[in-house]
Amino acid sequence: MKIKTDIANNSHRLKEVSGEIAERLESKGAGGQLVFDVRVAVEEALRNAMLHGNRMDPGKKVNIEAEFGEKAVRITVIDEGSGFDHQEIPDPTDEENILKTGGRGVFLIKHLMDEVKYEDGGRKVVMVKYFKAAERKNIKCDREDINADKS
Amino acid sequence: MQINLDSRGDVSVFGVSGDIDINSSPEMKKGFEKVFREKQEKVLIDLTDVGYVDSSGLATIVEIFKNMKIYGGKLRLAGLSDKVKGLFEITKLDQLFEIFPDADSAIQSF
Repeated sequence: MKIKTDIANNSHRLKEVSGEIAERLESKGAGGQLVFDVRVAVEEALRNAMLHGNRMDPGKKVNIEAEFGEKAVRITVIDEGSGFDHQEIPDPTDEENILKTGGRGVFLIKHLMDEVKYEDGGRKVVMVKYFKAAERKNIKCDREDINADKS
Repeated sequence: MQINLDSRGDVSVFGVSGDIDINSSPEMKKGFEKVFREKQEKVLIDLTDVGYVDSSGLATIVEIFKNMKIYGGKLRLAGLSDKVKGLFEITKLDQLFEIFPDADSAIQSF
């Protein structure tokens, strides 16, 4: 069963949803590193959607969907903001940016997930994480329609 | 998240436990205000009992580093789990901070 819900711009609700996804992955036999990576990516995507997308507007929601397949988990986060160009975000590892206190969220998402696509002008992010072969033996799958091309 | 403050000689040791994230980062910043006010020169953040850090947590630690750098203070980090250390490596913050496997080796390094 997939997780699909609309949530208010609230950091405690953010943690509840990421915790629910992490628990689902753990219950399916996913390894600790994968669960950690997905949890960080989900929280960064939700945080960006709430803070930079919806700008904490109480009239706007964030939609999140998590689909658990045989080979991968796919997370989609959609906000109601005006979008952004992810390619224009400065590299936080550059010398001139390393001491900045912001700008690491999108960078972490790209490095922790296997596939990341921004759509609808940046209002929608689709993130995929593939299970490792050893994990796949344990994974109980709810959906098999995730386009997981990797073997 | 909890912060336990201890003194080891002239080193202030901040033992953090729990998650350093979007919810706890403001509290962590407050916990270090005294360090900046008193211009404490040697500070260790022991992350042995921290299982999760997000970009807010990384930003908070960078901010502590920057505030201490203003007056010449020295900050060390210790006890990072492999997962948390991985985030420092991805963001290249492992090259900015002096990171030690445990509190004892960090204290000896000052």
